[in-house]
Amino acid sequence: MNQFTFLGREKMVLMFFMALGAICLAATYFVEPATMVVMNHGHEETVSTHHMRFWSNFLQNAVFFLGMSFTAMFGYCAFITAYGGWFTGMKRLWEAYALWMGVGLVMMLVLIAGVWMHWHHLYHWNAHGITDINDPHYDEIIAGKAPFLNKYWYTFATLICVGVYVFITMRIRSLSIAEDSAQKGDYTFHNKMRNWMAAFLPWGAFTSAILIWQWMMSIDAHWYSTMYAWNVTASFFVGLLSMTVLMLIYLKSRGYFVYVTENHMHDIGKYLFGFSVFWTYTWFSQYMLIWYSNNGEETIYFLTRRDQYPILFYGNLIINFALPFLILIRNSSKRKFGTIGLVAGITFFGHWFDMFYLIKPGALINIAGSNDAATALGSVAGYALPGLLELGTFLGFTAMFIYFTFSKLSEAALAPTNDPYIGESVTHHVI
Amino acid sequence: MEGHKDVLYGLYDDEDVLMDAITKAQKDHLDIHDVFTPFPVHGLDEVMGLSESRLHIAGFVYGALGTLTAFLFMSWVFTRDWPIIFGGKPYWSVPAFIPITFELTVLFSCVGMVVTYYTVCGMGPGADNPTLDDRITDDKFCIAFNVSNSSKDEIESLRGFLTKSGAEETNIKTI
Repeated sequence: MNQFTFLGREKMVLMFFMALGAICLAATYFVEPATMVVMNHGHEETVSTHHMRFWSNFLQNAVFFLGMSFTAMFGYCAFITAYGGWFTGMKRLWEAYALWMGVGLVMMLVLIAGVWMHWHHLYHWNAHGITDINDPHYDEIIAGKAPFLNKYWYTFATLICVGVYVFITMRIRSLSIAEDSAQKGDYTFHNKMRNWMAAFLPWGAFTSAILIWQWMMSIDAHWYSTMYAWNVTASFFVGLLSMTVLMLIYLKSRGYFVYVTENHMHDIGKYLFGFSVFWTYTWFSQYMLIWYSNNGEETIYFLTRRDQYPILFYGNLIINFALPFLILIRNSSKRKFGTIGLVAGITFFGHWFDMFYLIKPGALINIAGSNDAATALGSVAGYALPGLLELGTFLGFTAMFIYFTFSKLSEAALAPTNDPYIGESVTHHVI
Repeated sequence: MEGHKDVLYGLYDDEDVLMDAITKAQKDHLDIHDVFTPFPVHGLDEVMGLSESRLHIAGFVYGALGTLTAFLFMSWVFTRDWPIIFGGKPYWSVPAFIPITFELTVLFSCVGMVVTYYTVCGMGPGADNPTLDDRITDDKFCIAFNVSNSSKDEIESLRGFLTKSGAEETNIKTI
């Protein structure tokens, strides 16, 4: 079966979860109280929440799935540029993931519009008068970062960087499909693809860091870490690999991808294992350097998260490091679909949970106005832990992502029969 | 040291012919002493019916031992034996121990696996490992049978099997 058919039954189930996600996301807009009473500098103050729970949920999911599709494209380009052939059998799956970047860009446009129209207050650097020295809200640190953290650059960088990703992805996709009907042994399409990919790699590598800094790290506008972008990219990549494992298991159960065997799963498993460790490595490097140097404005970031959000802080490490590390360390556990499927399920949720950990505490601080005020609030629904509405939103976005993937899969043959590396992929053998 | 043994071996030119020969030998219930190849051949251990190596289990145990050694030793030094305050941190500052714990985990598991591997395989300095044929390390693939206690007929039938399955030449060597 070389042509994927998107069953009506699947559409129904996915539609149901998308509707559920939409309801949950909409609910977060309305259930959050419009104001909160916080203690600021010793006196009570009423602050507006600006529907922060809704916007931070939207940002978390939009960025997570956009990042996953970015790493799908990045991994695809890296494999082809490095003359890798083993994954060719499943490359249509990663192409379908990569095309999601177009949808992700639309979601980012909503957030950009929010920045301009002040619909949301995710970013403290966007607050009124914050860079004006004569304004009572003047913040010297943020004013110093204003050349990078401003709405013009936020808009421009997002549009240009993601726009180029989407453009190159669509070029590569059309070349890849055109290759299917090319003559046997005609490598011109492959060579053209390789050129586009060689261009994508440096562009994607540098700009993804900029985007992650401004989309996510600038929520905590006072704090910065150069390791952050690496850490988040690793998170995206593990999320993508987990999604790939689960999707392949499902599609194989429907009779597709027969040539993707436990040998390919073994290799994806190695990536899953390796990048879980890499994620932990960057996480810990970032943490330890800041812990050791003990500079007040940097340490406060981790201190808040460790003391106020212990479940997010330690749970993150257990789910995303300890479990995949200990379960996947054996060779055979990467080859058994049940075991690797279990790990993939854990890490897919785990890296979404990581996004939650990265975004929510900072979002609450932005509502409260200061670190101390946020601390005094204690645990607030939707910020301390992923609640049911957050989980519903996550399911909705996942269903939407799968729906998109399935509809893109049904647009082209599943096996790229004219790809020069397809033979290498079919005969791939690990042990 | 074990006593000397007589080994009948056949040399093959191609790994695919070798694989077919091994499969055939397994079907005929011939007791292969060993197979030698100039490079690792994929799927060979599967065809030969070898069980999965347990070296990695040893590696995990050594690694865990390294983790414990490093972590417990540093904990003991910095809390009991010689407590010093570094940079205003508590005596027992776990994050600072992690890089060294990691290094010792890697060191223990690597060195341990090398020593185990060499010991189990009887290799290493001073070990006497005669080669059946120098060309096995270059371009020939070899199936060897232990024929120390075999009769002449048995040897001839094994030799016949080797030739029939594609061996370029067959020899008997005492090692």
